[in-house]
Amino acid sequence: MKALVDTPVATRLEAAARRDRGARRAALGKAAAVCVAPAAVFLLVLIAYPLSRVFWSAFHYVNLTNPTVSGFARLDNFTTVFEDEHFWPSLWRTCEWTVVSVVGEYALGLASAVALAQPIRARSVFRAIVIIPWVIPIVVAGLNWTWMLTPDYGVLNIWMVKLGLMAKPYYWLGNLNSALLTVSFVNIWRSFPFYTISLLAALLSVPREILESAAMDAAGPIRRFVYITMPELKIVSLTLIFIHVIWTAINFDFIWVMTQGGPYNASETLPIMIYRYAMEDFDVGAASALAMMTMGFMLAVFFIYWYGARSSSRESATW
Amino acid sequence: MKRLTIGLAAAALAVCGFGAPALADPVTLHFWVAWSPQQADAVGAKKEIAAYEQAHPDVKIDVQNITYDALHDKLLTALAGGDAPDLSWGLPEWLGELSRMGALRDMTEEAKTWPDRSAIYPNVIDALTIDGHLLAMPHYLGIRALLVHEDMLKAAGVASPPKTWDELIADSQAIKQKTGKFGFGIAGTGVRSPQELIMYLAQNGVSLAERQPDGKYRNTWLDDKAKLANATDVFAFYKNLLDKGVINPDGASWGWEEEDTNFGLGQYAMVIDGAWMESRETQNPEAMKDVTISAPPYKEKPATFFEINPFYVYKAGKHPKETWDFVAFMNGKEFQEAVHPNNSPRSDVTTDSKWGRGFTVLAPTGVVFPPVPLGAVTRDMIETLGQTLLKNEEPEAVARWLAASINKDLKQAGELSGN
Amino acid sequence: MVTSGFERRTRAGATYATLALFAVYCLFPFLWMVDTALKPPGEVRSLNPTFWIVNPTLENFRHVLTDGNFLAYFRNSVIVAGGATALSLMIAIFCGYALSRFPREPITRTVGGALLMSQMIPGVLLLAPIYILMRELGLLSTYRALIIVYCTFAIPLCSFMLKGFFDGVPGELEDAAEMDGCSRFGFIYRILLPLAAPGILATALFCFVTAWNEFLFGYVLINDEARRTLTPGIMVFKGPHLTDWGALMAAAVLAVVPVAVFFVYLQRFLMEGLTTGAVKG
Repeated sequence: MKALVDTPVATRLEAAARRDRGARRAALGKAAAVCVAPAAVFLLVLIAYPLSRVFWSAFHYVNLTNPTVSGFARLDNFTTVFEDEHFWPSLWRTCEWTVVSVVGEYALGLASAVALAQPIRARSVFRAIVIIPWVIPIVVAGLNWTWMLTPDYGVLNIWMVKLGLMAKPYYWLGNLNSALLTVSFVNIWRSFPFYTISLLAALLSVPREILESAAMDAAGPIRRFVYITMPELKIVSLTLIFIHVIWTAINFDFIWVMTQGGPYNASETLPIMIYRYAMEDFDVGAASALAMMTMGFMLAVFFIYWYGARSSSRESATW
Repeated sequence: MKRLTIGLAAAALAVCGFGAPALADPVTLHFWVAWSPQQADAVGAKKEIAAYEQAHPDVKIDVQNITYDALHDKLLTALAGGDAPDLSWGLPEWLGELSRMGALRDMTEEAKTWPDRSAIYPNVIDALTIDGHLLAMPHYLGIRALLVHEDMLKAAGVASPPKTWDELIADSQAIKQKTGKFGFGIAGTGVRSPQELIMYLAQNGVSLAERQPDGKYRNTWLDDKAKLANATDVFAFYKNLLDKGVINPDGASWGWEEEDTNFGLGQYAMVIDGAWMESRETQNPEAMKDVTISAPPYKEKPATFFEINPFYVYKAGKHPKETWDFVAFMNGKEFQEAVHPNNSPRSDVTTDSKWGRGFTVLAPTGVVFPPVPLGAVTRDMIETLGQTLLKNEEPEAVARWLAASINKDLKQAGELSGN
Repeated sequence: MVTSGFERRTRAGATYATLALFAVYCLFPFLWMVDTALKPPGEVRSLNPTFWIVNPTLENFRHVLTDGNFLAYFRNSVIVAGGATALSLMIAIFCGYALSRFPREPITRTVGGALLMSQMIPGVLLLAPIYILMRELGLLSTYRALIIVYCTFAIPLCSFMLKGFFDGVPGELEDAAEMDGCSRFGFIYRILLPLAAPGILATALFCFVTAWNEFLFGYVLINDEARRTLTPGIMVFKGPHLTDWGALMAAAVLAVVPVAVFFVYLQRFLMEGLTTGAVKG
């Protein structure tokens, strides 16, 4: 997990290249091509080919149960999506779900990483425990949480009532206001350990001398954290957040397993809509159009991130 | 494989001792099911299938157990990829879409000479027939009845289960008052809720879509004031269930799992449900022992949801004859007695237990979904329940919305009459 | 570290409190799974669920292990996840090397961008095209199909993770190796890989867990019970009318525990590996 930034290696290579520009460049290009070729083959066959079909379908009438319509659809599939009353609410909920999840994951990941970086006893035991949610399959975790959260026979509600935390059981996944937040909560539970591991690794590599000299200068622990530790975590954090924004926005499993987008669409996000277009309406055209749009949104986020990262650090992005 | 086949054939010849016609290549039938491995029907079916393979050494049944949640996606993907199994389980709601995709084998010819045909309830065969073509074979009947925790009814001083909607509401209020538990339960979401909604609609004399002279379908509520009023009544009934404290407010978001489990735990008194609730007796014997079965309460005419669960047989299968023989075997008396003693599509297989006859007597009042692609329709039905129970919208507005949405969905699927 | 005793004590107290909370949060659902797996049916569905089991039973585990093909599913998952991990690593090592050493080459930039783009496609939409592709390649219901698919999903992140670790290996080493007449692949094999070994291990673990837990493609691409993997195998206990929670949880526990133990065991190396990768960020 490391940011996509330039390295001194490249500078060195450039220096070498200056000596023998022509031949050297060709050799480098060839070596690079050889190295990325296998990955490129996989991408071409398993991603580019399906993606080209998605692109094609987005501009054609493709309906599995209605073969009477076919042919070039111009922008009709996009119109279908825009005219769908669910589209804008779903787009908004996708943002909400992504932001809540990623912010929660980052907060918990940072808190746990800081705690685990302390020189305490039984550190490795705690480090092992924190990883556990991440190794539980999403479908199983989703079912288990759904069951634990049910009002009538779910353990969490009953215990919280017994402990006096709540007056009566609450249907977390069944209420319009709480369904999406509850699924986000479970998503945070399952995903934050990944942040913990990455942030912890970065924390452990913060040079000790800097912190010590700061302590000598009588900087308090909070000041030390804000002014010394956080900047060290910046790149890792940005990368983590960026990749998880993508993963969360297109995540389908958690919401589907726990609420199927319900109740009354309260947890419907764009991937759920794509699924519905394809598997319930059999309108592959509209599903593809929506998928293209989703990718468009994500690319927009990517460019914002890219330029943001570029302007905030003097190092330029690698590619 | 080939060498093995030749070897087997040679061995068979040697055993037979004379020049019998060489054995045909063993045929493998791919059969996708979705059973819970430990349940009685799965155990029975596995045994019967093994016996069938013994009796037909040239046929091998390759059974794939797939969780119901993923069966639909897997089937659609396989069909789109041109690689369907020979036959599979499925929900009756998929009949229309699979038929429109041209995925199903027409078994009309085979059924003509099928000796057991007369043993199957006639309306079962009708429900699996589209435009005179028999496109699926019966599997089991999921007829819905009113299940009642009798002790709770008694505690409330109610002598017999409710017969009408009004009685249901009054009895439930009495139960709530006396026992503190809710009188009734519904599924507000998931696959079960449209099945309940279509039943209530039928109990008030309206259907989702009617077949028109041109062979296509149309929802006619907006053309006919009386029908719109009847449909409105149904949503008003749902609203009453909530407003008058008949159901647990959480029921608005329950799926079948919550509905069944809470009933199994004795959390409320009455539910419209299927004979599979028998399995809850082993899970929660104490709470389930007072359960009695009766006809669902109605408003205008008695009706219940008649889930005619099918076996789908696919056109792409390479062994039509063997598949037909096998699916006919599964509709035979022996198989049905072993696997579906209570809920068989055969009129000559039933038990006198409450889980048997208690449900099958309701078969004549059964209603089914129209054979059109239903994915969008059932989703809209679930949405109307959300509008009614969670958003508190006006029943008439909800009925109008559903009428318009169904016609839109039909149009999308190319099934709308007059288009 | 030079800090006051008071600060140290407060800090230790706060740390333990935080970690205790995290431990409960992380472990509770897992312990509930284990607990449920040990309960007889009557206690699984109860209005008063407790951790205390009146009649603990191993019946669910026995049922899962002996009545179905669980052990075969387990073996299949090991083969598929192991195969996918090995293949992705082989490919990602070269790709990560290129991303680290030739970041400015047009081809590297193109492939890097494509790797990133590939993360943005919703998997549901890839289902049908990949199914058709696998059928055309004649790979349906084979281990290879799943290995290839999981590999495709894992390569992008693995490449970027490895790029990070390779960046941490000083370029001077490569120059020196080159002067000693060591070829580029010789350098990767003999010097780069051993130096980045902990990072490669961390990448491998990530890849393995992702493949081990995948559900949808495992379900759809395998039509043969003998090739079925674990997650789909667990889900059959969610039946059409009844979820067999006891068996489902028993199966899930059996699937999770080996991976968890594996992680606990490798945790130290993992941390070391990630630390070397994260230096200088």
